[in-house]
Amino acid sequence: MNQDNENSGPGPLSGYRVLDFGWVLAGALPGMVLADMGAEVLKVETRQRMDYMRLGRPIIGDEPDPEQHPLFHNVNRGKLSIAVNTTKPGAIDLIKELVPHCDVVVENFSPGVMDRLGLGYDVLSGIKSEIVMASISSNGQTGPLRDLRAYAPSIGALSGLDSTMGYEGERPLGLKHAYADIVGALHSVFAIVSALHQKERTGQGQYIDVSMLRATVATMGAGLMEYEMTGRVMGPKGNYDPAMAPYGNYPCQGDDAWVSIAVRTEDEWQGLKTGMDNPAWCEEERFSSRYSRLENRRDLDGNLSAWTRDLTPGYITELLQANGVAAIPVMGAEDRLFNPHFKERGLYSDIEHPSLGAEPVYNIMWNLERTPPSIHRHAPLLGEHNQKIFGGLLGMAEEEITRLEEDQVLW
Amino acid sequence: MTFSLLQGLRVVELGESVSAPYCSKLLADMGAEVVKIERPGVGDQAREYGPFLNDQPHHERSGLFLYLNANKQGVTLDLETPTGREILGGLLAQSQVFVHNLHPTEMDRLGVDYESLRTHNDALVMASITPYGLTGPYRNYKAYDINLAAAGGICEGLGSPDREPLGFGTPEVGYFAAMAAASSIVIALLAGVGQHIDIAEVESMAGIYNGPEALMAVYQWRMTRRTGHHALDFPYPNCILRCKDGYIFVGSPEGRQWRTLLEVMGSPEWAKEDRFRNRTAMNNEHADEVDGYMEEWLTQHTKAELLALALKHHIPLAPVRDFGEVRNDESLADQFVAIERQDTGPVSFAGPPYKLSNQDALPPRPAPLLGQHNAGIYCDVMGYSKEELVKLYQTGII
Repeated sequence: MNQDNENSGPGPLSGYRVLDFGWVLAGALPGMVLADMGAEVLKVETRQRMDYMRLGRPIIGDEPDPEQHPLFHNVNRGKLSIAVNTTKPGAIDLIKELVPHCDVVVENFSPGVMDRLGLGYDVLSGIKSEIVMASISSNGQTGPLRDLRAYAPSIGALSGLDSTMGYEGERPLGLKHAYADIVGALHSVFAIVSALHQKERTGQGQYIDVSMLRATVATMGAGLMEYEMTGRVMGPKGNYDPAMAPYGNYPCQGDDAWVSIAVRTEDEWQGLKTGMDNPAWCEEERFSSRYSRLENRRDLDGNLSAWTRDLTPGYITELLQANGVAAIPVMGAEDRLFNPHFKERGLYSDIEHPSLGAEPVYNIMWNLERTPPSIHRHAPLLGEHNQKIFGGLLGMAEEEITRLEEDQVLW
Repeated sequence: MTFSLLQGLRVVELGESVSAPYCSKLLADMGAEVVKIERPGVGDQAREYGPFLNDQPHHERSGLFLYLNANKQGVTLDLETPTGREILGGLLAQSQVFVHNLHPTEMDRLGVDYESLRTHNDALVMASITPYGLTGPYRNYKAYDINLAAAGGICEGLGSPDREPLGFGTPEVGYFAAMAAASSIVIALLAGVGQHIDIAEVESMAGIYNGPEALMAVYQWRMTRRTGHHALDFPYPNCILRCKDGYIFVGSPEGRQWRTLLEVMGSPEWAKEDRFRNRTAMNNEHADEVDGYMEEWLTQHTKAELLALALKHHIPLAPVRDFGEVRNDESLADQFVAIERQDTGPVSFAGPPYKLSNQDALPPRPAPLLGQHNAGIYCDVMGYSKEELVKLYQTGII
């Protein structure tokens, strides 16, 4: 780690410095995690081509404003921002001068862009051989799909993830969340800290090429193995588990209210029966074993729904959990925001941001008990730390930095 | 593929199903030595999950188990007995990391807690992966994948209005908890501080996967409502549509991508209507109608043809592939590795999703048979004699 690092917060990675070219979601997340863990993360960005996450509808007023996007504030909290316009002469050299002060470089531009800027791994490792550099891309830095324009939903499609996502026998629906971005970013974090672990022992640097497609594929164990072992391909099956019935979300009293219930063991089935006060249908032959319940799961779902329909998700959850059955309400964003369990564990923090005031930011919830992560500051304003970093790390004079800002180099 | 970034680490895993096993798989694939502990005679429940080779159920031939446990050594140990727990302590004394996914109530019952275990190893890094975490009102709640998807925010947005909310098609939540735990473990090692790490599976969804959703509540955004194959408040198109031989994802977040796509489609008349000028309004108000126009063109083309057009014109089209198509994608061929074990023959599965420059990748070893490395670990590493090993076996401890 670097000894000249005074700006990192407390935390297990304090003392490490990250040069973070990551943008939008997949690229921004690794830096966010490393910042929460105490590393000093320098977000390199520019007004010339703004991080898309800074764009979007303003919260206050009608004018677009790069400082008003709450999603940006979430995934860039804890970072420092330097604005560097790489289209201007001299800008690349300024970035290179920062490299000796850094331990990690993260980027997720289209493959080839870093090389074109003269900031590829060959160049950076020439400046500092121990540097750990991670490139995150949709489909890898090489191969026939390298240049495919692809976003998280594209990877959901290409990876097989979407092929099982839907009601039984119906069309695949696709996910609303950016599964591939997050899986790609999380595998990147793991590879980065593993490379740092090796660097601390051997001094060896590393270049890491992470493909979001490959990362998603690595989490498709059940689906890929089904094909490998049996030659069959899965399609949408609704809420289904090959060893459990009931297994699904059941309608409750209230507006679009649902409770999830899953039963695996015989003990849990007995607990469910007790919770329902032993209705007669439970004793029917077709529900008498795990096997027969799975065979007749649609009828079982019907009977169970008839019971859940008149009760609230919260009531059913408490009743069934008291009887040893896995049940929990289907929660919306608001439910989680005000939920006593998540509140007690600190899922969300309110962070004061200069342009929007107090706003909720989620915590990563990786609870290292003796060296916990924390959110050290609000997301940076664009170029907020030009003076601090170029002055503090490179020893440049205040007037020179101001001049470079006016010349739209640090811009 | 196996790398050597974490060479020299010994990790003990007491894991079932997906979460703790995938965590230690990540560590094993980076070069750590992983010792997996299973219940004598029974083993990890993933051994029952299947899918089974040629549909012949056998606890040594479950695909999910073989995938998640490659590159590990396997021992059996009965933690219900004081002798078994003593052996666990002895093994942890010679290891750096312990990861498990016992339920908190089981941890209490068996006395598997950090304070007791660190008496064997002061520098121990221990990760507990549990459904709702080690504190809080839901600590002792039971959960399976669908429950964690429901509380974590997957289900609320997946499915059609007025119909049952859906979870993931296959068990996925455990992978997210595993990634959180694996990184946390290495970060604790980097900090050089022996400690306990508390990872809640539900928070691996509600936190880093889905955390920004709190904003949806605060600002009343609607992107994640349950609206079938369309999501509200995105510019059209951003959805899966029919094509000639299946389905294709069609997106165009940038205006120029949409203009190019329309050109490739032959500049259709309908797209010139005034009401389609604003693409977000087109998505929110006319999506079903426009799907029809789009599918009229898409259904004349196969997935392969559309992928070729996507590459040629730089437009975001992506075929919805089934797992056979994924497996047979030549561009992914070097991610898949075939492992040969005498009883299964070659079985292929996905290797790590990264390529490393300064590393030789070694081929992985197959998943262990139940108790396969008892002698190797208990005798060679821990120093038990062969006679003691036999006695432990005869008394059901291993």
